[in-house]
Amino acid sequence: MKLSLNWLNDFVDLNEIKKIENINDNGTLAVKLAEKLTGVGFEVEEIIETGKCLKNVVVGKIVKIERHQDAERLFVCQVNLGDRNVQIITSATNVFEGATVPVALDGADLANGIKIKSSKIRGVESQGMFCSGEELGINDGLYEGAEINGILIFKDEFIPGTLVSKALFLDDYVLDVSITANRPDAMSVIGLAREICAIYRLKIREQDLSYNVGSEKIENIVNVENKDFQLCPRYMAGAVSEVKIEKSPLEIRSRLFVVGVHPINNIVDITNYVLFEYGQPMHAFDANNIDGKKIIIRRAEKGEKISALNGSTYELSNNNLVIADENKPLVIAGVIGGTNSCINENTKTVVFESASFERSQIRKTSRGFGIRTDSSARFEKGIDLLSQELGLRRALNLIEKFGAGKIANGILDKKEEEVKNLEVSVSKNKIDKILGISFDEKDIVEILSSLGIESKINGDEICLSIPPYRFDIENDNDVAEEIIRMYGYGVYDNISKPLFEGASVMVGKHDPILKLQRELKQILICKGFYEINSYSLVPSEAHIKLGLGNRSNEVVKISNPISDELSVLRISMAHSLLSNISFNVKRNNKDIKIFESGKTFHAKSVPLTEQPTERNILAFASIDPADDFYTFKGVIENLLERYNQKFIIDYSKKAFLHPGISADFTNENGEVVASFGKVNPVVAKEYEIPENTYYAEVDCDKLLALPLKTFKVKKISKFPIVERDLAIVVDEKVTVGSLEEIIKQCCGKNYNDVKLFDIYRSEQLGDKKSLAFRIKLLSDEKTLSEEDINKVIDKILRRTNELYGAVLR
Amino acid sequence: MKNKILEIKENSQKEIKQIENLEQLNLFRIKYTGKSGLLTEVMRGMRDVPKEERPMLGSLVNEVRTFIESEIENLETKFNEIELNKKLANEKIDITAPSKNSETGTFHPIQRTFNKLIDACVEMGFEVVTGPEVELDKYNFEMLNVPKDHPARDMQDTFYITEDIVLRTHTSPVQARVMEKRQPPIKIISPGRTYRVDNDATHSPVFHQIEGLVVDKNISLLDLKMMLTKLLKILFGENTKVRFRPSYFPFTEPSVEVDVSCPNCNGEGCNLCKKTGWMELMGAGIVNPKVLENCGIDPKEYSGFAFGQGIDRLTMVMDKIPDMRMMFENDIRFLKQVK
Repeated sequence: MKLSLNWLNDFVDLNEIKKIENINDNGTLAVKLAEKLTGVGFEVEEIIETGKCLKNVVVGKIVKIERHQDAERLFVCQVNLGDRNVQIITSATNVFEGATVPVALDGADLANGIKIKSSKIRGVESQGMFCSGEELGINDGLYEGAEINGILIFKDEFIPGTLVSKALFLDDYVLDVSITANRPDAMSVIGLAREICAIYRLKIREQDLSYNVGSEKIENIVNVENKDFQLCPRYMAGAVSEVKIEKSPLEIRSRLFVVGVHPINNIVDITNYVLFEYGQPMHAFDANNIDGKKIIIRRAEKGEKISALNGSTYELSNNNLVIADENKPLVIAGVIGGTNSCINENTKTVVFESASFERSQIRKTSRGFGIRTDSSARFEKGIDLLSQELGLRRALNLIEKFGAGKIANGILDKKEEEVKNLEVSVSKNKIDKILGISFDEKDIVEILSSLGIESKINGDEICLSIPPYRFDIENDNDVAEEIIRMYGYGVYDNISKPLFEGASVMVGKHDPILKLQRELKQILICKGFYEINSYSLVPSEAHIKLGLGNRSNEVVKISNPISDELSVLRISMAHSLLSNISFNVKRNNKDIKIFESGKTFHAKSVPLTEQPTERNILAFASIDPADDFYTFKGVIENLLERYNQKFIIDYSKKAFLHPGISADFTNENGEVVASFGKVNPVVAKEYEIPENTYYAEVDCDKLLALPLKTFKVKKISKFPIVERDLAIVVDEKVTVGSLEEIIKQCCGKNYNDVKLFDIYRSEQLGDKKSLAFRIKLLSDEKTLSEEDINKVIDKILRRTNELYGAVLR
Repeated sequence: MKNKILEIKENSQKEIKQIENLEQLNLFRIKYTGKSGLLTEVMRGMRDVPKEERPMLGSLVNEVRTFIESEIENLETKFNEIELNKKLANEKIDITAPSKNSETGTFHPIQRTFNKLIDACVEMGFEVVTGPEVELDKYNFEMLNVPKDHPARDMQDTFYITEDIVLRTHTSPVQARVMEKRQPPIKIISPGRTYRVDNDATHSPVFHQIEGLVVDKNISLLDLKMMLTKLLKILFGENTKVRFRPSYFPFTEPSVEVDVSCPNCNGEGCNLCKKTGWMELMGAGIVNPKVLENCGIDPKEYSGFAFGQGIDRLTMVMDKIPDMRMMFENDIRFLKQVK
């Protein structure tokens, strides 16, 4: 909401505030008001000095024009500035003797960035510059001729020497105030004026909204039938005949201009002026086009069409409210007018609408059609039932001020209920409890009274009479907020009390998943992995890229995505990590080792009827040349070490992993808890990442369900460990894991450890390989003899030969 | 004979002073105390000495031998020490050459901010609770006093999956879920990911929040101020000041914006705080009694406060990260800087 100080001054005596604050100029006042408004909950985002580029620009009357002696295209002009004459050189051809023009003098800093300094042009002194509208930062809406290619010629008889900012009513400051959604009443000059008066305990200036009426009765021009009080609690209308459509007075145009509204003509300007001043959206009809002289407020019939002022035609339904005449809809209520009854230059009779519409209906309609207007924006936040009358009276009052037509006798007012103050009672004790401090009754009454709320305190009960425009105040909490915001939160600065006094003592507790993830991440960090943080929204083709197919029955789609790049939720962390590696590789970064914990999302059915399953996954990946399948296997083992669980390893079925260089770890329930391996070369190519990319993921939800290891410390054997190296030759397809298993079995209770330490292949061996194991044996009872050891070795050789055809190398 | 022994002693004394290394010392040892050394020779000559003189001379020879041997030992220790020092000196390496220690990684800065906040809150007795990111409209909005077609919906541009299922726009739905399940006392925080239709230099469509909620008997706005002051002092240091400004959120009433004295300039005024000395940090307030009621908690008996802290901007401030996008791009060169 843009608030002009000049406009505000109609409602608040700003000189009084200057006196209170001991301020002399409006610039300082603007800063002070911004600070005060922010302090009571209306954040001022910007202070705009409207006349900033009009400093040292004055009105001049051209007295004489001569050609420059040394320059054919230049003219030397003598210009009267009231108390003195100056000489200005111009190349403009639209100036003439007797013309009144804006003259920028020394020190002027114009809207287009030009800074003025008097100088000699081809030997002749020029003490400034004539300005175009563009150079002054104004447009045709504010002043006709402002957009021509040439100097702005004033049509008004401005007194030479006057500052142009004064002449155009642009010496103003505008506060850009952010209005919270609970205070639609403050989206108006009067609303903010009420707040400012409350801050300074001033009285708001009474407005004279009177006007004289003609002899014609309004009923001769228009009648109103309100068929839907639920969606339109109040509908008021006034009428004006013998209307002359013309420009509004300059001061009105200026006020609209500085708050960012384009002035159009007197009638449209009046509706906008009232909207800004009272927050009441108005609509103006050309009465000639109201068939049957009757306005009917009703729900639209299905299939009814209206061509709107924005050039589009809309097909209506029974959910839309329309303002219609006997034959056709004229307006989509509160949202947009139709072309069939709009004001045009030939309009002779005008009907003003000043209404209140139910806010959620306006919002639905506005969203449904995708139309947002100033009017719909106000209505959907809610408008109190007092503003209609104030707005309509102000509109008619302005008609009289502008001399824009004859006001019909009477106004129409269709409402079901009388407008009255809301009576609410709240508890003082509860308010004290909410605020944590007790306020004096006197302070409470005074603060509320400054806000226009009359209150009586009777013991614990505070009885309030709340004006209709503060329909946000309903209960103890609302009243507590009014008191503390007007009193100021600074009151807490000097209070100290024990934290949570009188509340229950609670013991802190970590979330199990977050705790587990943090512990696992710590391991990855020690292993040299960096945590990344990527979007859980991914492109729709991400899962195809991973070789997972489109998974249309699993993927959760956003119905209003920002872009296709962020249009679905990921079903695998792989896309996030591989994309990041791709990004880093393209930036020439090497040896990337990353991890991320995040959620993957899996719809239970499509379209969704319930929330999808969310899985907590920890994933990591590397293109460090030092990493391979076995280093990843090692990291996974580190992560799983804590669980009392026998994991089964098998080749992974994940489509984005290499089928022969990947593995799944399965828990005792047959659930995959971890998958890892080399990225499938086809996928690596898709992501433009090295073939040597390794990826792993662990399912944290599944891990959380697993029992943790417990241990019992055994005595350490007094006897020595004996070592034997054993190399055996087997077929390629025989796995190390299966041989280790047999060796373990053969060692029996004397088993201590077995480790593969060499794999040897050669031409001689053909399609066989030699595996060298270091076997450690240990007994709790004795030192193992050579005979004991040989027995075990023989057994190993016999068993591996029987099962896998192994022979000693 | 006696003279000869004393002469040996005297000579040895002179000679030993000339010895410069272990090799010479060895020769000296052989010469005096060796198997065919001078002292052994003297002992052999004992046969020719009258019997009664023998004990006296014998003990004299032993005395001299002990003396020389101890001299040798002292010298040997000295030379060994010199040798060792020489050897150690030769073995000196370049300690500035790179370590063989492998590189460690690090937490993402956003995660680190989460960890700090979580730890501080757990210390203060909060329980950490998480909730779904794909949330029902009911929890994300309706129970929090934002019915459908309420103007407050404009405050949060929402990603919709269906009409009733959204990507949560804040961590507040966890409040509603917890209050619906439990009766007070409740004292939780909920960190997590949130989503809004917003994508520019200072807004990311995916961002992070932490939500705090305390519901009990006698919880006031003053408690909120005291608690946040304590929390923010943990984060930013003991001199940190906290200020409230009135604001509006549908789920709290009264609602406040919480400003913290700029951690960059300690409130002196700098570019980061636009010369104000304050930094806008979070939204907070007293839980709206309508929300308590929606969740089945009696607002006559209980009251509560809630706060919601954006993590991303806070991380930028705490870690002095110049551009929001760096935190989502994850260039490894960025991550290596934030250890």
